[in-house]
Amino acid sequence: MAATARIRGGIGADGPFWDALDAGEFRIARCRGCNEWLMPAHFRCGTCGSWDIGWDEVDATGIIYAWTRNHAVSDVLKERRGALPYVTALVELPQAGGARLPGVIVGDPPNLRIGARVRGTIRPPEERSRGYATMVWQIEDDSAPATRVGETEA
Amino acid sequence: MSGLRGAAAVVGIGQTPYYKRGTSPDSEMKLALRAIVAAAEDAGLDPAEIDGFVSYGSERNTGQKLMPGLGTRSLRFAGLAWTHGGGIPAAVGLAAMAIYAGQADVVVVYRAMAEGSNQRLQVAVTQDDTPAQFLANGIDMVLQRSAMRTQRMIEHEGVPRETLEAIAQAGYHHAQQNPQAVGYGTPLSHDAYEASRYISEPYHLFDCSRENDGAAAVILVSAERARTLKQTPAYLLSCPMGASATMGSREDNHEPYTSVGFIDLAKRMWRESGYGPEDVDVAQIYENFTGMAVGTMIDHGFCTAETAGDVLQLDNLVAPDGGIPINTSGGNIADGFIHGMGLVLEAVRQIRGTSTNQVPGAKLSMMAGGPGDSVTSTALFGSEATL
Repeated sequence: MAATARIRGGIGADGPFWDALDAGEFRIARCRGCNEWLMPAHFRCGTCGSWDIGWDEVDATGIIYAWTRNHAVSDVLKERRGALPYVTALVELPQAGGARLPGVIVGDPPNLRIGARVRGTIRPPEERSRGYATMVWQIEDDSAPATRVGETEA
Repeated sequence: MSGLRGAAAVVGIGQTPYYKRGTSPDSEMKLALRAIVAAAEDAGLDPAEIDGFVSYGSERNTGQKLMPGLGTRSLRFAGLAWTHGGGIPAAVGLAAMAIYAGQADVVVVYRAMAEGSNQRLQVAVTQDDTPAQFLANGIDMVLQRSAMRTQRMIEHEGVPRETLEAIAQAGYHHAQQNPQAVGYGTPLSHDAYEASRYISEPYHLFDCSRENDGAAAVILVSAERARTLKQTPAYLLSCPMGASATMGSREDNHEPYTSVGFIDLAKRMWRESGYGPEDVDVAQIYENFTGMAVGTMIDHGFCTAETAGDVLQLDNLVAPDGGIPINTSGGNIADGFIHGMGLVLEAVRQIRGTSTNQVPGAKLSMMAGGPGDSVTSTALFGSEATL
C-alpha cells in the first residue's frame, strides 16, 4: 500500500481497496472480529471493537441503489468535463452485506433505473480517476428495462 | 426540557448587500466587520462589547482577526461548529451555551464569503475532504451525492418530482416582495424552471442555490439582558446538533439513506421546546438543492413521503396564508446565499414582525441547517409568549 494516499480526504482507511484494484481484485473491508462488512472502511470496528480489519474478495456484481446523470461538474472534477454527460451511481453489493459503493455507469443505457443489475470491470488508472484503478459498472443486458416515462429518458 | 430553553435570544441582526459571487468590492474580512457592526447597531450595542465569536464551515475570519477592528475589550469565547451549512443552528446553539454557562455575555454568530479573497464556495466548503471513493469515480461532494439521494426519494419512495419545483418557486415568490433579494424582480415561471438546463439529474439549474459574496451576522445575549434592549427578542427554544447511530460520515452508507439527518434532531427539538411541527408558524429551510429541502420537511414531520405531494404545494408554502410558509426572504435560492446564514436573520425577522413576507402574528419560527451534512443541526426560535 502506498505510504501516502493519492487523495487526501474522507476517512482514509481504504488503501487496501485501491491496492486490490491495482492487482485486479475487488475487495471490501470486513471486520475479522465479528465479520461485519465495513463500508466505508475504518480503522476500528465500532460494532465489536476489533482493530483487525480484513479485505474479502467479492464478485463484481451489484444493484443500482441511486443514480444521477451529471451535466456539469465543478473545477475539482474538470478532467471529466469532456465526458459530460455521464452517469454515476451508488451500487449496492448484496454479497457484501449491502455495502454501497459509488461508481461510474458505462455509457448511457436505456435501462438505467434503481434496481437494475450491474457487473463491474476494472478500468486502469487515469488522470480523471486521480491515478487510481477504478471499478466501472455496466447494466446487465437482461436487466428489466426502465418502466418510467419522462424527462430522464430523453 | 433543556435548561437552555429560552436562556438566550437574538437581539441584533446585520448583513451587507449580497453581491454576485466574485464581485464584492470588499474583502471577506471587511464584509464580516460590516455585518457584525450592523448587527451591533441593530441591537443598540457597542461592537466593542462583543466577547464571543462563533461561526461554522470553512469560515476563516476568526474572532482574533476581527477584534482589532471591533475594538474588542475582551475575547472570552470563540468556536467553530463542525460541518458546513449543517453547522449554522449549531453555531447559534454554541453561542447560547456560552452565554448560559457564563463564559461570554455578547456573542456574535456570523459568516462572510467573497470569492475574490477565497475560492468558489463549493470548493472551499469541502475543505479537501471528499473521500477518494467519490473523487476517483467522478463524484464531487455535495451536488452529485445530493442528486442521487433525491433521485431515490423520487424513483423509489414515490415523492413527486413536482415538490422540487414547489421549493424553488416558494423562494422566488417571496423574493419578489424583498427588494434586497438577489432574485427580486425576476420571478420564476413554471416554463422557465422546466426549460432550465439539468445540472445533475433530477436537479435543474433552478434547483440549486446561488453563491454570493457578502456577510451576515446575529448577536445573542441572555434572555434577561435581551429584555432591556431595543429589539423584540427572538428566544432560542431548542437547537439540537448531532448525528444518530446510523448516520455520520458513512460515504452514503448511512440509514435511512433518503433521510437528510434530521429525524432524531427534530424529535429532540420538539421534546426540548414542548412544541411540534403543527405549531410552527414559519420555517427557513436550508436548500442547497431543492430535493434536500424536501427531505428536511419530511425528516421534521411536516409531511411524509406519502403526503409530500399534497403538503409541498406552492400555495401552502407561501406567506401570509400558507399552512407552513418557508424561506420567506427568498431563501438561499432567491434571496441569496451567504452559506445559509441569511436564513437565521429571516427567522428572527419573523418573530419581530419585520419580514417583507410577514406571517401575521408569527410566534414560532424554525430554521433548519444544511441537509445531508454528516452532522447537522436545527433551531426553533420563539417570541416571549412561547416561553
